[in-house]
Amino acid sequence: MSQGPILELRGINKSFGPVQVLHDVAFSAYPGEVTALVGDNGAGKSTLVKCIGGIHPIDSGEYFFDGERVHVSGPRDAAALGVEIVYQDLALCDNLDIVQNMFLGRERRSGLVLDEDTMEEMAAKTLAGLSVRTVKSLRQHVSSLSGGQRQTVAIAKAVLWNSKVVILDEPTAALGVAQTAQVLELVRRLADRGLAVVLISHNMNDVFAVSDRIAALYLGRMAAEVKASEVTHAQIVELITSGRSGELGLKNGNGAAS
Amino acid sequence: MMRAGPSQEEIRKHNLGTLLRHVHLGGPTSRAELTSLMGLNRSTIMALTADLTAAGLVREELPKDTGRAGRPSLVVRPETARVYVLAFEVGVDRLAAARIGLGGVILDRREAARAREPFDMAQVVGTLAGFARQMRRKTREDTICVGAAAAVSGVVRASDGVVRIGPNIGAFEVPLGEELTKRLALGLPVAMGNEANLGALAEHTRGIGAGCRDLIYLHGDVGIGGGIIVNGQLLGGYGGYGGEVGHMMVNPDGRPCACGSRGCLEAEVGEPALMEHAGRYGEMIGRDAVRAVVDAADRGDVMAQEALAHVGNWLGLGVASLVNIFNPEMVVFGGILREIYLGSAAQVRSRIATGTLRATREQVRLRTSALGDDATLMGAAELAFAQVLADPLEALSRVAP
Repeated sequence: MSQGPILELRGINKSFGPVQVLHDVAFSAYPGEVTALVGDNGAGKSTLVKCIGGIHPIDSGEYFFDGERVHVSGPRDAAALGVEIVYQDLALCDNLDIVQNMFLGRERRSGLVLDEDTMEEMAAKTLAGLSVRTVKSLRQHVSSLSGGQRQTVAIAKAVLWNSKVVILDEPTAALGVAQTAQVLELVRRLADRGLAVVLISHNMNDVFAVSDRIAALYLGRMAAEVKASEVTHAQIVELITSGRSGELGLKNGNGAAS
Repeated sequence: MMRAGPSQEEIRKHNLGTLLRHVHLGGPTSRAELTSLMGLNRSTIMALTADLTAAGLVREELPKDTGRAGRPSLVVRPETARVYVLAFEVGVDRLAAARIGLGGVILDRREAARAREPFDMAQVVGTLAGFARQMRRKTREDTICVGAAAAVSGVVRASDGVVRIGPNIGAFEVPLGEELTKRLALGLPVAMGNEANLGALAEHTRGIGAGCRDLIYLHGDVGIGGGIIVNGQLLGGYGGYGGEVGHMMVNPDGRPCACGSRGCLEAEVGEPALMEHAGRYGEMIGRDAVRAVVDAADRGDVMAQEALAHVGNWLGLGVASLVNIFNPEMVVFGGILREIYLGSAAQVRSRIATGTLRATREQVRLRTSALGDDATLMGAAELAFAQVLADPLEALSRVAP
């Protein structure tokens, strides 16, 4: 796709006290594409995502959205731009039903009361738009749903708000095969509908199955951002474990400050 | 004698078919949209819809509140509940039948397990005809069956419906189409097609590949079949047997194939190969068996992981050749290949990245089937609808009671 990135970060630095977690990180996400963010434990994936989502303020660096420089100083700023994050623990409330969960904290009102009908209709439309057919009733409590269905609801919740970038943190961890397949297909459908999707995963098959681009973090540095059609499994594993692979990767790959 | 051009009658036939196809594939469509889609003027569209409505193929309705100013354009809907076809599937592990309405809606379906044994014509035809009878008995008086077609896991001669060779269903030179036509006695011939060819047709017309003009569909059902769509048309070859990518040789010294050759893609990637590599041969069969291997691999079973990596390697090699030769816009994995691809995508795509020319691969999208288990039945339905879409009024007059 020839379009420019919808989300672009340049030169991001982030420290927690004396520990510098992100060094001069660049990252882009393109509309209509799935960008996989991979890296070993502690490479900085979650920190980077939390910086994008406005949960952690960045120390320095530039944040561009749709070509314009923006300042994101909190989750509400990110949500206003159209950036939604689905966390690993999904952050759904077990004691509420699907519709209540999807609108949690952003309920529709008509006058003084909640506009249940409109909310239910919007939720149904969103799920149908994602070709989700596994959920029986929208008034089911989330506690009665399977792992895959919860993941689906969490993703639908992120899509409901006309979001432009959806970030998924390990969406297939702890799912069975059939559910993993459904979630991966859902991830792909989101991108095919024109959203920019960022997928964090440790599973190389999941990464290769749906990604268009792969960004590999190594010890807080962006080792490489490559097209998934141009690399092999072995190269990505090398980038994750050593920060470089042949021509690709960090020139000074040991992570020490250059 | 030279012909000056198509006659008025031919043009009208063509336009009726085109309009019906738009509604059949696109669902309810307003007259205004049809006008711009077909590039005809409003009164022509009105006359065409009137003809199709009179024939009972479509219905016109006022749209629900459009929220826009002005008189709303009437919406043309397919008569899904009234006009239907019968679609059959003769797979390795299942016999299935469905009643599918105009517009591609499954109205009713039946399915039975099939044992992996030599082809038993009486049993196959008996089961399918029984399903058809049950489903037809439940229909209303005013419904009308406009076609029938079967998808077969084997190489089929389209002209007379003979299954030339179906190694995985144990069929060799079997006149299935003729028998099925006789037993169903619909007054219509039962059209026959290869299951992967029809799966390709279904994914191309209303599945994940809608809008793609160059697409390759790979269907796994013990063996591997393929359907190749080039510039919007299914690639048939001289005898109509083309697209047998399962018998493309990928490993000259490889495993023996049911077709008599060695190292065919289907021998290296099919279910038996996967199960044998995983050390589970003979335990389970079919899709459940493949799922169990992918599941075990996910949970860390090293043998299952290696089996998937191995099979993924050969699959990638096969797809790489197809990408180089056909430069498709999309490759779709269906049947058991959906699970196998998702479980071995790292190997498959690594092979494609190293084994293809950059120019041929850079635009390729790899996708899994959107129609899933229904892809082959939906494809058979498309084949069955072909007559009525080509010449609606003529086809209808033939089947009218």
